[in-house]
Amino acid sequence: MSVAVELPSLGESVVEGTVSRWLVKEGDRVAVDQPLVEVTTDKVDAEIPAPVAGIVQKILVAEGQTVAVGAPLLMIEADSGSDAPRKPASSPAAAAAPQAAAPQAAPSREQPPATPLARRLADEAKVDLRSVTGTGAAGRVTKQDVALKASEHRSPAAGPGSAPASGSAPAAPRAGYLSYTLQPGDRVVPMTPLRRLVAEHMVLSKRVSPHVGTVAEIDMAGVTRVRDAHKRTFEQDHGFGLSFLPFIVHACVRALREFPRLNASVLEDAIVEKKDIHIGIAVETEKGLVVPVARHADRLSLAGLAQALEDLAKRARSKRLSADELKGGSFTVSNPGRHGNLYGFAIINQPQVGILRMGEIVKRPVVRTLDGQDAIVIRPIMHLALSYDHRAVDGAPANSFLHRIRELLEEAEFDL
Amino acid sequence: MAAPLRVEWLGRIPWLDALEAQMKRVEARRAGAGPDTLLLLEHPPVITLGRRSDPAHLLESRAALAARGIDVVEAARGGSVTYHGPGQLVGYLVIDLAARGAADVHVFLRSIEADLIAAINKTGVAARATPGRTGVFAAAAGRPRKLASIGIGLRGWVSFHGFALNVTLDPGEFAAIVPCGLEDVAMSSLAHELGASAPVSLMDQTRAAVAEAFAARWDAA
Repeated sequence: MSVAVELPSLGESVVEGTVSRWLVKEGDRVAVDQPLVEVTTDKVDAEIPAPVAGIVQKILVAEGQTVAVGAPLLMIEADSGSDAPRKPASSPAAAAAPQAAAPQAAPSREQPPATPLARRLADEAKVDLRSVTGTGAAGRVTKQDVALKASEHRSPAAGPGSAPASGSAPAAPRAGYLSYTLQPGDRVVPMTPLRRLVAEHMVLSKRVSPHVGTVAEIDMAGVTRVRDAHKRTFEQDHGFGLSFLPFIVHACVRALREFPRLNASVLEDAIVEKKDIHIGIAVETEKGLVVPVARHADRLSLAGLAQALEDLAKRARSKRLSADELKGGSFTVSNPGRHGNLYGFAIINQPQVGILRMGEIVKRPVVRTLDGQDAIVIRPIMHLALSYDHRAVDGAPANSFLHRIRELLEEAEFDL
Repeated sequence: MAAPLRVEWLGRIPWLDALEAQMKRVEARRAGAGPDTLLLLEHPPVITLGRRSDPAHLLESRAALAARGIDVVEAARGGSVTYHGPGQLVGYLVIDLAARGAADVHVFLRSIEADLIAAINKTGVAARATPGRTGVFAAAAGRPRKLASIGIGLRGWVSFHGFALNVTLDPGEFAAIVPCGLEDVAMSSLAHELGASAPVSLMDQTRAAVAEAFAARWDAA
């Protein structure tokens, strides 16, 4: 049986490590607990021991390469006679605890980092935390991880088909039936810690939250008129151009005040409708997707909102956002920009319950009734797509919310 | 409750001998046959090079260093170049972090900083940690002055290596290297910070304060 040895979590704030030296090579026989590889992270050199005895089958990471916590480092073909492998190094603690460990070492001492909620749930469900792969920040075990493990326990006969649902390591699939065998000429791009976080978050969101989508076709003629009328003076006063985004966000926060159910989170068995409206803005940067948050977006004027969004986007691109500015959003707006295509459904940014995604604004022929006569006219049209969490929101309020945004944008009553 | 931390004073011993002493205790600890230990010692003058050391950080030739009685050792460790010598209190920590329920390297590094700061403050020098820069620095204003360097190794979850605290060492001895590759940091020592008010027994006092600070944390753990 092949066992993958992964880069263990060396601490809650450790997200990656650099392979500094291999202590074994492919084909070597290794004993349990024998140091395999040395990994360096800030001021720490950690030797990762073998979780099982066997033959080193494949070394997956070159010396000098930096990989995220949870990334597989090597494969060991475990001796057939040996016991079931210990958990493949979810932490050196799990891997390193020798049979001869001091008898006082209670199991709790070797547990991986977990959220308090996950611990309580694990207690109740009698799930051994050491057997759970954490998908939270820095490999923390989350409530969902425990719930998933508990459901596996209940159906031991579940075949391989049930495994993908685990999503326990979306960014680094377990070796075996799902993994891809490298072909000559392939380019292997290690995930950055940010990429890995994004990947884990996407899987988590789709797993815990049933997404439903709905799309509005919005006539942007009114907004375009307001924007054109103020474009020059705005740019003179503020030093940057007025885009469509602040209009969308402004209409969105006004609608959120009328539909608090969309400005909410699912917490245990309750839905929490939040007083404050903090809007996350998905920004694509050189290093990947980040979502800075415009706090108290409902207290800002259109011009104030435009300034806040410009500031966040600028600093996101120059990587000068503080960690706090990436936290605490209550709803998200995604603006894919000029090449956003007709429309698309974004994945909800957990633990929120909705996300808007702007489509491109394009002149289209539409039918309007002018002086009692139907006529085909040319209007700038945008499709605005809402993804909502059906655990918290039913179709009627979600559609009314999106419809209200459409009304606000088409009425285009904005003060500048 | 884990057994208390054993503190051993090894006197002045060469770097490679101290490494061997550490690894023996690491293996014993992993086999459950030894206690958590703090080894306190001094090294004869020695420059250690990590595998990632930039040769440019060694500012004198090896021959020139040898002529001054300074060894150069290629340490099988990460990190950059370091100097050790008499007047520097070196502490090597062999602790099973997992068995202590403390399996988090950043938490461990921060705890070493906190314990050193507590010990240093007892000698009358104000010390602080600097976020983003492992080590202990003089708290007084001005260019950052480093009092202690920290670097740890782990085999599984058993730690080795630890810290080097400049007590009576002349900071000028670091002139042969760029410590830890930090060009903008000056090295200092407790004696240098205290100036004329440094007591003769500063090394003994510091050693006692360090032993006490680490024992206080790990005995209680």
